[in-house]
Amino acid sequence: MHHSYSLTSPLPSPASYLRAVPGTGLQIQGISKRYGSLVAVNDLTLDVRPDEVFGFVGSNGAGKTTTMRIILGVLDADGGEVLWDGSPIDFEVRRRIGYMPEERGLYPKMRIGEQLRYLAQLHGASAAQATAAVKLWLDRFGLSARTKDEVQKLSHGNQQRVQLAAALVFEPLMLILDEPFAGLDPEAVDSMSEVLHERAAAGIPVIFSSHQLDLVERICDRVGIIQRGHLIASGTIDELRGHGPERIWVDAPAAPSGWATHVAGATVARTEGSRVLVQLEPSGDDQALLQAALATGPVREFRRDLPSLLDVFREAMSESRVATPA
Amino acid sequence: MPGAGQEALRTFYLIARREFITRVRSRIFLIGTVLLMLLLAGYIVLQAVVLNRSTATVKIGFTGAATALARPLQAAAGAQGTKIDASNVNSVSAGQAQVRSGDLDALVSGDPSGPQVDVKDSLDPTVGATLTGLVQQAALNQAITASGGNPAAIDAKVASATIHLNLLDPQAAMRTQRTVVGIFVAALLYVALLIYGQIVAAGVVEEKANRIIEILLSTVRPRQVLLGKVVGIGLMGFLQLLLLGAVALIAGTQTHVIDVPSVGIPAVLGGLLWFVLGFVFFALIYAAGGSLVSRQEDLAAVTSPITMLIVATYLAFFWVLSNQDNPLAIVLSVIPPFAPILMPARMATGDAQAWQVVVAVVLTVAAIAGMNALAARIYSNSVLKVGSRVKFLEAWRGAR
Repeated sequence: MHHSYSLTSPLPSPASYLRAVPGTGLQIQGISKRYGSLVAVNDLTLDVRPDEVFGFVGSNGAGKTTTMRIILGVLDADGGEVLWDGSPIDFEVRRRIGYMPEERGLYPKMRIGEQLRYLAQLHGASAAQATAAVKLWLDRFGLSARTKDEVQKLSHGNQQRVQLAAALVFEPLMLILDEPFAGLDPEAVDSMSEVLHERAAAGIPVIFSSHQLDLVERICDRVGIIQRGHLIASGTIDELRGHGPERIWVDAPAAPSGWATHVAGATVARTEGSRVLVQLEPSGDDQALLQAALATGPVREFRRDLPSLLDVFREAMSESRVATPA
Repeated sequence: MPGAGQEALRTFYLIARREFITRVRSRIFLIGTVLLMLLLAGYIVLQAVVLNRSTATVKIGFTGAATALARPLQAAAGAQGTKIDASNVNSVSAGQAQVRSGDLDALVSGDPSGPQVDVKDSLDPTVGATLTGLVQQAALNQAITASGGNPAAIDAKVASATIHLNLLDPQAAMRTQRTVVGIFVAALLYVALLIYGQIVAAGVVEEKANRIIEILLSTVRPRQVLLGKVVGIGLMGFLQLLLLGAVALIAGTQTHVIDVPSVGIPAVLGGLLWFVLGFVFFALIYAAGGSLVSRQEDLAAVTSPITMLIVATYLAFFWVLSNQDNPLAIVLSVIPPFAPILMPARMATGDAQAWQVVVAVVLTVAAIAGMNALAARIYSNSVLKVGSRVKFLEAWRGAR
């Protein structure tokens, strides 16, 4: 990317006036929300640190959007608390959250520049700050030439960029993005995720939800899996992936079939040609497995199999289904 | 950092300004306003043309000795409100040709004591009666002189004998003018309230449908969005009515269709005042109604009761117009929701008394305050609920 933007922007460093010392970020403590008999969010607890990109995954209707709306104060929780830097989040903090709703929210017939300036001012920026920030972000997204165009004249990807710009133009304290990557091409995803990482590095926590688990896996520092309004797993990608049983791919072409079952604590999960996927009990020893494999002849592959986030997600869902019978 | 009140005011200003500027700049507003102004000016000019036809001038040619009648006829007919365009014609045949071709309305020729009048098929009745009167007067004067009397003394005596005119309704002409203006004010307010109310409701649904309301409500309180929208759109309506009122006054002054200082200006000012009051009142209801639905297609279902109310008020105006002294008419014209259309119309017709206007304003302002609280509650409780229409009671209770 050849953009002229740098992190030493002419704008005041985000959050500087509200945060003399680096804050503790966002803490969600046991929030709940019901709609009549439907429990949308159920005792959800979650921390997002100031310098991280946090991915929120879950099926449709799991409670992601409701949780985001509660953080924003657009909805009131029935119980629980949302804290910012250790104290209950208030209107002054909330109005400096950059928010991107799931179904995009912009005035289709308003000019891009005017619209962004308007939204920046509504979020508390002065007219001069708003003008500078709008120019900065439109330059950054390569949309300067479209400043006077109506939003509806832009392509989907560019509308999405404007939508993200709308969340950035007032130097937000935090970003909350509901499905920000929906329908974007890979290039747009890359440029957008680059911005998110930059912001997180500048101390602005980023929370986003997504169905695209491969994306979440690539972009997020930490992930929370939500199901039926409850957080069923959270942690860094590595923590989540390392959470399951240990599995090892072994390719020992000369080995007789069933060789691995002689190793203590090992079972064969899958066989693909000469390769076998061996699952080890917690008591099992991977070095014993390697020695057993070498004893049969040459070993071409010996590799730890980390589950993808999708596997983790599926497993977490099935575990929680067992744990909490509907 | 500015105080919370100042910040709230700034937010309200930003929202109202956006509503006003983006709408006033739109092509539909510009074209619509210019078109309405032209229509109104055209209508008033047309009225002037229709009124002027009754005082149209009559072109009469005189020839020979009858030319002596031209000046007295002009004077006498002028007193009756008929203007005579007199001209000299060389000969009877030339004059008759001009009458046939329509260049003249009549040709007067021959002996002034018994002139011949040539017309195409009919003579203007005023001209006919005046000319006959002149000829008979001349004959009478001759007869008086012949019998030894003094025609001037007798004329003076005759002139002093007069009827005693008792004006039972001296303001009748003025009242007709006022009634027409009153009907006009009522019709304009009726249309303006309906259209601008609908624009407010559609604006609320637009923000709800494209979800920008979620972004707005993360930084602005619902009440500010509601009031900013109502005021911004109201200013656009006020501007449009102000332009139309100015056009009406200018066209009225130029054409003398209405008495501008005593009828026109009070009617326009009263209309503008009541547009503000009526618009705010109805716009709040429209906004609350709009917040109940998520799609423009569903809007008609919630706004039609409000529309019916405005239509009913407009229809009630015609009953009030012909029953000005009926106590019910007076009561209807001071209470909301009827006052915003009935009172300005009654003010324009000159039937409203000062105390009635004051009571109507006070009651309407009180109703606006109440409606503001109600609308803000309904709006806040339903504007984020997307999907099927929110039921009124649910919106009132706010169970979400």
